[in-house]
Amino acid sequence: MTETTAQGPARERPEAPAGAGGRPRGATRTGTSKPLLGAVGIVAFLGMWEAVPHVGLVSERYLPPASTVLAALARRATTPDFWTAVGDTLIGWGLGLAIAFVGAVLLGFAMGALPRVRAFTNSTVDFLRPIPSVALIPLAVLVYGTDIRSTLLLVVYACFWLIYIQVLYGVADVDPVAEQTARSYGLGRLARIRYVVWPTTLPYLMTGVRLAAAVALILAITAQLIIGSPGIGREIAVAQSSGAVSSVYALIVATGALGVLINIGVRALERRVLRWHTSVRGEATA
Amino acid sequence: MTIETGGGGATTVPRIVSGELDFAFGNVVSLMVAREQGLPLTVVANGMTTTGDAETDYSALVVPEGSDITAPAQLQDATVAIDNLRNIGDTSVRNSVRLDGGDADHVDFVELAFPDMVGAMDNGQIDAAWVVEPFLTIALEQGATPIAANFVELDPELSIATYFTGDELIASDPDTVDAFTEAMNASLVYAEEHPDETSQILTTFTEIDPELIDQLRWPRFETEIDRGALETVADLMVTDGLIDSAPDLDTFIR
Repeated sequence: MTETTAQGPARERPEAPAGAGGRPRGATRTGTSKPLLGAVGIVAFLGMWEAVPHVGLVSERYLPPASTVLAALARRATTPDFWTAVGDTLIGWGLGLAIAFVGAVLLGFAMGALPRVRAFTNSTVDFLRPIPSVALIPLAVLVYGTDIRSTLLLVVYACFWLIYIQVLYGVADVDPVAEQTARSYGLGRLARIRYVVWPTTLPYLMTGVRLAAAVALILAITAQLIIGSPGIGREIAVAQSSGAVSSVYALIVATGALGVLINIGVRALERRVLRWHTSVRGEATA
Repeated sequence: MTIETGGGGATTVPRIVSGELDFAFGNVVSLMVAREQGLPLTVVANGMTTTGDAETDYSALVVPEGSDITAPAQLQDATVAIDNLRNIGDTSVRNSVRLDGGDADHVDFVELAFPDMVGAMDNGQIDAAWVVEPFLTIALEQGATPIAANFVELDPELSIATYFTGDELIASDPDTVDAFTEAMNASLVYAEEHPDETSQILTTFTEIDPELIDQLRWPRFETEIDRGALETVADLMVTDGLIDSAPDLDTFIR
């Protein structure tokens, strides 16, 4: 055990900066072993989940074995209601994230250009930002009832601050030399935003988007579960109040799968948008 | 007409008051508390009534398999799960404890969601639970024993939940309210006369196991709201301090 862990990094470390010769070999090796390890991990997890109720560690009534839950999920995946719920959840997630993104970017860049206003609003932002979105559930219900707007309120509120703060840091991080160089080359305000501020902010922005994408899913499901707005969360609540335990777990697995897909999607987007950035093309600098 | 599900009294009452919803379904204790707080709500149709028979009612106080408790009087210092504190659950359970000669002031009520109660009994976290269907049948299947039919003991004619509206709608559009009352009464009669269809409708908006649906115990779908039973509820609520004085039932029910 200790030997292998001590050996692992020690063997790999000298290869990392080895340049052109070492790179392809390293890449293919991790390329094959990583998904393999991942698959083994999932199989082991499912095996454990299958065993726990069978052994009697937890009663099968409250934690049905993996096979039962996955069968329930497979059955559910053939019904249009399930896909409507998935669609509603994705709409709440995507629309909320998009509104938060546009609002946060516009306001963030405006604040970057108006440092006085930013100083003026700082304390308000610091007060509003830590308010957990779920604390707004009573307000959401009162104003919007149980439709999708309630979901959107929670998602937008949580995601807006995540992205907005990142944008504020991003626009504040502009290299003064680059900014002055752009000025002395006669670039106008818009051109400077496009060629100096935007590329500086983009990595921060993408970090905000990545965090917000995960949080948006959490809040979309929460809103549906608690408020009863349409989506997978509400399906979980219905299954729970019907005593349909395996359906509850099947839907939870579905939300997990959705989370994984969203994460993969956002990572891919990040790599694409920031392909020029050192954090993504790291090895090419060597 | 659109039917919305989800959200208990805490969400439906404000939405009725704001006029966003026209009609909602809620239990009589919640409504009496809301009325006393000055919220302009009025009952317009019955929702469901206890069967009046302990063997068939859809609600019961149950203890886990092997429990030493055999009667409500023994619940003194015991932990009893109900779905909402200071509501119809503790009011009716306290009544059952008193009727059995026990000390209702020393029952420890804890708030749990109905789906979690059976599990909490199995784990020994609670000594007894007030459950309604489908969790009553689930609890009984898993060996729980009923020790009291809390609604039947409160009053065999008790309306547990009713449909209500805001007074603003009654003033501005009495015809709609009349039509709603008429339609609800017709549907209550139909539901009572066609139990098979009524139970089958459950498959359309819940996920209750079809095998379980056949065993469920049902409330009575009665059009009349028994005032004597509501007076008993109101008196118990005054005794327990949920409200200061009993509501005027002539204005409480339209």
